Amino acid sequence: MSNKKFMCILRSESGACEKPSPSDMETMYAKYQAWQSKFAKNILDMGGALSGAAAVVTNDSVKDGPFIELKEVIGGYMLLVGENLDEVVKVIQQSPMVENPRTSLEIREISTP
Amino acid sequence: MSNKEQQDNIEHVFRHEYGSLVATLVRRVGIQHVEMIEDAVQWSMTQALTHWALDKKPDNQAAWLYQVAHRHLLSEFRNTVRHQVILNNEYEQQDIEFSPDIEASLSSELSDALLRMLFLACDDHIPIESQLVFTLKSLCGFSVSEIAARLFVSEANVYKRFIRAKSVLIKQKFNMDEINQSLIKQRISAVHRVLYLVFTEGYLSSHPDVLIRNDLCEEASRLTLLLIQNPICNVPESHALLALMYFNIARLDTREDQTGLVLLAQQDRSMWDQQKITQAMEHLMQSGQGDIISRYHIEANIAAEHCMAVSYQDTRWDKIVGSYELLENVAPSALHILNRALAMAEWKNAKQGLEVLQRADIPTWLTRSYHWYAVLADLQYRDKQYKSAKKNAEQAIHLAPTKGIKDLLKRRIANYNTNKSIKNSPRHSL
Repeated sequence: MSNKKFMCILRSESGACEKPSPSDMETMYAKYQAWQSKFAKNILDMGGALSGAAAVVTNDSVKDGPFIELKEVIGGYMLLVGENLDEVVKVIQQSPMVENPRTSLEIREISTP
Repeated sequence: MSNKEQQDNIEHVFRHEYGSLVATLVRRVGIQHVEMIEDAVQWSMTQALTHWALDKKPDNQAAWLYQVAHRHLLSEFRNTVRHQVILNNEYEQQDIEFSPDIEASLSSELSDALLRMLFLACDDHIPIESQLVFTLKSLCGFSVSEIAARLFVSEANVYKRFIRAKSVLIKQKFNMDEINQSLIKQRISAVHRVLYLVFTEGYLSSHPDVLIRNDLCEEASRLTLLLIQNPICNVPESHALLALMYFNIARLDTREDQTGLVLLAQQDRSMWDQQKITQAMEHLMQSGQGDIISRYHIEANIAAEHCMAVSYQDTRWDKIVGSYELLENVAPSALHILNRALAMAEWKNAKQGLEVLQRADIPTWLTRSYHWYAVLADLQYRDKQYKSAKKNAEQAIHLAPTKGIKDLLKRRIANYNTNKSIKNSPRHSL
């Protein structure tokens, strides 16, 4: 029976203590614009890309221990039901967010009273 | 803390807890009882008003509210014919004191349930306007009369839309635990769309007296943040949508003053919320990945261009023109053409802006809206075609839906009459 509950906590680096400078902001913006410009050059190809399902990236960086990093805040959590931790990790690896270098995941089993 | 502050504080807690409390109780006892559940949640909040004003506030406010609402709901059930159904429900046994452990799992369960309910409400079988009402009522805690005022429709209409959503959800054998990854992927665009609608409604409200509804914008961004905090919903589009909201929220307070709406060129840029702009930029950066670009990406980018410009004059209008072109490809709408024409007029000149309009295939619905006449009048005026500019401006005022927008247009036409040169037309996105 797959009835164990797991709490997945998403942590993202906190931006609160290190406020980006105007030039950091420019860098972040430039990074985004470089990405968007791919589409401007390729307008005709885009119809196909748009009709497809969202790209799913897998990444093997998920670990099952608590991630203790400075400058991080608990961003959120979700509950997953699964048979065991491995299964839950597999599910989570399907999520595009694991590619995001600014976030990390912690998965904990919840003991239901 | 003064009474007033306490009251405000409680209302703040309420608005933010309402949806997750309703969703968690729906998950336990079923969507067919949603109205009874909402009553119970409201009841717990009135209880909180009395108790929290007298005693110390509980440490875990959500748990307190949940417990009181749950008890109230059960006692209501006992008094009705649904009695039997509930007695068979295993959750009947769960009316217990909260230990810290249970509180921790409850708090994650609350937000988990809220998201699940949001995804269930965004069901293709439910008309989009019903999805919107259901979200506002059951997840954001707005009353029927508040929603009616915000959407500019009658209360009866709001209620009809709500019932429509509810009856579909009951028929669909609503089961919150069946929300899985594939369903989330299938529906996430619909969820984005509803949140975008809530935000847009707040950003330039169709309500005749209130132009900007900060509370709607705030609710929309709060729910979008919740999406981002969920590993499966943390997709690039969610970041783009939140970036779009934050860039615009950063400017909200400067968009309105005692005289009415303030246009972009007149806004006090030093009053823009730099912290929000920073947060927006972080989300925009995170949205820039993957093979798919959405309208939210491009709209966020346009908003970013404005927020990053030191002045109206120094705005990179060429980039904005390019983004509107891209937007027309990604999410075609004639409104984008109007925006592009205005940006083109800033980048090059008014004549080239008018050319954009002449070349475009403008649908009839647009030629019946005030937007069309207002843009035409603006560009014609700047191209020194004073006579047609005046005629079109009058038409725009005639068609404008709200007093605020009419007043704004009248102030512009007053300028046309005096033939005062209007430097840097103060108009940006419609």
